[in-house]
Amino acid sequence: MSTIIQKLKGTKVHGYVLLLAMLLFFYGVFKILTPGNFGSPANLYSYLQSSIIYSVGGCGLYFIVVMGLFDFAVGANIVLSSIVGVLLSQHFGYIGFIVGCLGCGTLIGFLIGTLYNQLNVPSMIVTVGLMLILECVAVIVAGGVKQTLAPGLRFFSGAPGNIILAGLAFVLMYFILNFTKIGTYCNAIGSNEFTAKNMGINVKKYKLIGFMLLHFFVGIMAILTVSYGTTMTALTGMSTMARNFQPLMGTFFGVAFRKYGIPISAIVIGEFIISIIFNGFVALGAPTTIQNVVTGAALLAIVALTARGARGSVVK
Amino acid sequence: MDKRTLLVAEGIDKRFGITHAVNNVSLEIAAGEIRGLIGENGSGKSTFCQMLCGIYSIGEGTFTLDGEKLHIRNQVDANNAGISIIVQEMGTLSGLTVAENIYLGHEEPFMHMGVKDTRAMNREAQQILDSYGFGRIKAGTMIDHYNFEDRKLVEIVKATYMKPKILVIDETTTALSQNGRLELYKIMDAIRADGRTVIFISHDLGEVLAHTDTVSVLRDGEFIGTVNSSEVTEDDLKRLMVGREIGTAYYRTDYGQPITGEAVLSVEDVTVPGELNDISFVLHKGEILGFGGLSECGMHEVGKAIFGASWDREGKVKLADGTEINDIPTAISHSIAYASKDRDNESIILNESIRNNIVLPSLNDLASHGLLNGRKLNRFADEQAKNMQTKMQNVGQFVSDLSGGNKQKVVLARWLGKGSDILVLDSPTRGIDVKVKQAIYALMAELREQGKAIIMISEEIPELLGMADRIFIMKDGRINGEFTRSPELGEEDLIAKMV
Repeated sequence: MSTIIQKLKGTKVHGYVLLLAMLLFFYGVFKILTPGNFGSPANLYSYLQSSIIYSVGGCGLYFIVVMGLFDFAVGANIVLSSIVGVLLSQHFGYIGFIVGCLGCGTLIGFLIGTLYNQLNVPSMIVTVGLMLILECVAVIVAGGVKQTLAPGLRFFSGAPGNIILAGLAFVLMYFILNFTKIGTYCNAIGSNEFTAKNMGINVKKYKLIGFMLLHFFVGIMAILTVSYGTTMTALTGMSTMARNFQPLMGTFFGVAFRKYGIPISAIVIGEFIISIIFNGFVALGAPTTIQNVVTGAALLAIVALTARGARGSVVK
Repeated sequence: MDKRTLLVAEGIDKRFGITHAVNNVSLEIAAGEIRGLIGENGSGKSTFCQMLCGIYSIGEGTFTLDGEKLHIRNQVDANNAGISIIVQEMGTLSGLTVAENIYLGHEEPFMHMGVKDTRAMNREAQQILDSYGFGRIKAGTMIDHYNFEDRKLVEIVKATYMKPKILVIDETTTALSQNGRLELYKIMDAIRADGRTVIFISHDLGEVLAHTDTVSVLRDGEFIGTVNSSEVTEDDLKRLMVGREIGTAYYRTDYGQPITGEAVLSVEDVTVPGELNDISFVLHKGEILGFGGLSECGMHEVGKAIFGASWDREGKVKLADGTEINDIPTAISHSIAYASKDRDNESIILNESIRNNIVLPSLNDLASHGLLNGRKLNRFADEQAKNMQTKMQNVGQFVSDLSGGNKQKVVLARWLGKGSDILVLDSPTRGIDVKVKQAIYALMAELREQGKAIIMISEEIPELLGMADRIFIMKDGRINGEFTRSPELGEEDLIAKMV
């Protein structure tokens, strides 16, 4: 038995066992605490549908987080791309909606990546600056009014539309990570940028690609977000900041489980776990502040238990 | 030997700020030759090779390979031209598989319309690993799962599988165990037999003479000359490197001096899971206590355990006054110093000035009422660096600009400035040239005379025999033999306890 455990250590099976154990643990805890209004198959399906939206954003963020970069403009881009998509959908239907969200998202990724490369300042600073600008642009584009997606264009608001679109995003992510140079180069740049440069990798180019891919996935997230909520309102004053963190939590799972070779599954299952915790608290009737405190603590505990460095090792 | 000229370097020149690292070097290397390249730290040998390999841009001059002038911008250009390098420190990238590391920058054969055939890449990488006899390393596994030495072997495969015309081996053997070294020597011989060329950089002059055909010497960035390995001795090479006789006073020459009975540190039943098993010994005032053994014998962990840097240590490390050392701050505040084998990662802060590196553990002593005075810090650092004869522009210079030997001087200056009485020096002369080595040995002897106690962990047997009052040889995490300093003591005595 111990030989089998030893053999499985560090493998994909090990990673999946850990993820599923966590999933079952949190499900079990809330199911015991509120058996009546939590965790029925219908409930779980609903949690999954909301979590896959964040999983898509988590996949996008993975490209830049592994390179040691960060992006605070994700939330602002979700809002702006949603609004552009909804506005274009009013003239061009589904095509306008999809192209508007994806095109706007990717274009903003290009803008962020280019500015980051040209200004040569930390990604956090560039993206905080752009977040403020994008929030204002969204207000102007929306004309100060709430934008509503037409009822006839809500295929992605629920199953199977949202599952199909998110599934395609995950397949795309898997393809990019495993069957193109981009995944390898993003990891290489994150590991040692100087060596990566010496290996002939065009670091600036791949950072730009990383930002574009992130915001392409943000574009997909915008489609799912505005379809799910049916409306989008542009707000200023850093109010989009909160939208950055839920996808980022999934990315943390992805980065933590990268060593098991299952970053995408970890993002998806990780977001599902976070969703279970959130909804578990809702079922318990806990106030939002308590929900946030416990969700944050649970995230720290999960990442610490599964992915922390060896004791004594340097962690930055 | 094939006498066809393979590489011609003409007027190669490189400056870093005011430092003239390589000064108008011209030399030729033949095909089918293993050329040693030696020189003191800072002599320019690594810079010269790194220009050849595209790591640094060429200041002035030209390299011509097989009659064609080279225009190299990065390592991939160099690889494509037929030049590879294996570096001293870690050259593989975490977060990538073994196969991805081997083919990094050379994925094209596996790309079809932008899509990478990962399975084919893994299969081919595994075949290459198997052909080198490294079949236990799995191509599809993350490189992070392997230890330093295995990662070094992957790097050797990466640098050689393309059959480069020239392979540069820059101080790699210090990172390898005896077995790893033998593997590398075999690969070098195979390259020579194939009519290709190796440039071999090492500070181990015995190794250089044993495994090269010719040796070129650089001194202060200038080319001194090339000699046939079979026609010179180690002393001849030292003379060429330094420009004067090194003399006989390399190691200590005294024998029969009794060790004082005054214990300064006792180690009782220390165990570090997987590294050390039940180690006990006493260190005395004015003693140099040597620790030797094969690379993975656990000797390097001894230094960390004493310094309080092993988090899962069991057993006791106690000073003469009974103070227990369980963590690094306690060790430093009780006058214990530690210089790690992994100098760049564990002993110095590369992207910091010499001044900040030296003053770091002494800031409390240098502060008045909690405030630091920049001028005082400069003075202190300058004095300590100059005492160690550190080759530098000033103490504001970044440590990353210094050669290995001068970095080690900064480490020693830091601890001597702190006034440490117990020095734990792990591989104190690793990657350091003979002149600095001689200076460090002289300093150790002087510190011993002053009554300081030194633990010297070393993979070099002559160093242990030449400097230590007592020698512990370790095997499998245990002390397997103890020897007292004696002119009769030979390398074979120590080796017998290592294997």
